[in-house]
Amino acid sequence: MLNPIEKFKDKREVSRLKSHDKQAFVKAYDENVKDIHRFVYFKIGRQEEANDLTSMIFLKAWNHIQNNTLEDAKTLRALLYKIARNAIIDYYRDSGNKLNASLDDEANPIEIAAEGDNQQDLIDKAANLELIKSKLPLLKEEYRELIIMKFINDLNLEEIVDITGKSRGNVRVLLHRALNSLRELIEEDKGRDL
Amino acid sequence: MSEKDLIVKLNNLKNISPDNSWLKSNRELLLSQISNSGAKKISGRENFFINLSSFFKASAQPAYSFGVFVFILLFTSLFAHQLFSKTKPTDSLYIARIISEKAKLSTVINSESRDKLAMQFANERAQEISAVLSDPNFNNDSNKVEVAKLNNNFNEELATVKTKIKNLKPVAKVAKNNLASSSSDSFSIAENNKDTSGVQLFENPNNKVIVDSNKKVEAASALKSLNPSATLTLTVKATSTKIAATSSDIVSTNSIIDQAQKLFDNKDYSQASNKLKEVNSIIK
Repeated sequence: MLNPIEKFKDKREVSRLKSHDKQAFVKAYDENVKDIHRFVYFKIGRQEEANDLTSMIFLKAWNHIQNNTLEDAKTLRALLYKIARNAIIDYYRDSGNKLNASLDDEANPIEIAAEGDNQQDLIDKAANLELIKSKLPLLKEEYRELIIMKFINDLNLEEIVDITGKSRGNVRVLLHRALNSLRELIEEDKGRDL
Repeated sequence: MSEKDLIVKLNNLKNISPDNSWLKSNRELLLSQISNSGAKKISGRENFFINLSSFFKASAQPAYSFGVFVFILLFTSLFAHQLFSKTKPTDSLYIARIISEKAKLSTVINSESRDKLAMQFANERAQEISAVLSDPNFNNDSNKVEVAKLNNNFNEELATVKTKIKNLKPVAKVAKNNLASSSSDSFSIAENNKDTSGVQLFENPNNKVIVDSNKKVEAASALKSLNPSATLTLTVKATSTKIAATSSDIVSTNSIIDQAQKLFDNKDYSQASNKLKEVNSIIK
């Protein structure tokens, strides 16, 4: 749950966006673009499409805020995620792709931030990325989405409830199941290697 | 792999980010697109109103609303009566003044102080009614209804003052000189022993010694045990002086109020107002 100051800042941000403030848009973009891109990337597995969709999500968010055509989300971040989810559903519908996400994108490798990391850390991260890249797409769509939001993008429970429209209890249970499923997949893989 | 390890590994994926050059170029592209749909730089005034409305939106939750409510309540009870103190009975904000006075009264815990304050407010309101009625531009046939209403209000306010005077506890005032000359020893003994014996002898700002009427018996017995001859003098003097002083205060205040009432009935509003000012000075 947001504290009063964060809540005030968020409301101010949305109000400024509604007043067509360019600076507010730049701020909202800078603060959220990486998270939204990551969310889209892990959902669809292709960087080029993730770039296009991210760009489209921000443009849609701007239009929705101006026109008040979207059901009010509690925070700006929740609003962006809601739009992102809808955009991804539209993307799959348009492309006829049945949610067969893959994170193998040899042509466009995604960048891993390397500030302050030593070689061992980089190797570990690369190994983790490989592991997740191979296992995340095998999860149920619902589980994958919750894992990305909660454990990768650090959204709090309230925000996830707001974005998904599920109850708190339901989100907790699903998160638990999602983690178990992912762990089983990873351990299954390790057992095969041994 | 434990659940914790898995969460840590998942969390490391936060470092994955798109290409910086793409981020910048995309931002420029989006900015150019939104500029076409009316994006602008908002003015300082707009920004101020946005901040204000955001504050109220952010504080709309019950806990914050309660906090704001308590703040407003405290503020109004402490300062609003000063804010509205200049309003006249004919002003539209006069009701706000009455409410703020009631709020102020509700913050006074001591019943005697509360009665005194209520008496002061009622007296001030009665004075203002006289002042308004003394204005010939207002007190004429065209305002018959309002004038009648103010007359009633005046009578009510005076009745309130009288009732509150009766409620006040009688207080005795003994001249310090008399006390010192007749029983200087017992006075100092009483002063030294007031915490343990319950004797309430103290100096007031007018250099007089006040003996609380409820405690006079305790004071007498406590002093008697310490210095029998001197104490007896003090007790007798204090008791007799107390009754005389209290009665005279109440009688004089009541008579001034009665005079004010008569002057008001005779439509001598300015004299009535002066009499009420006297009452106010006695109350204070």
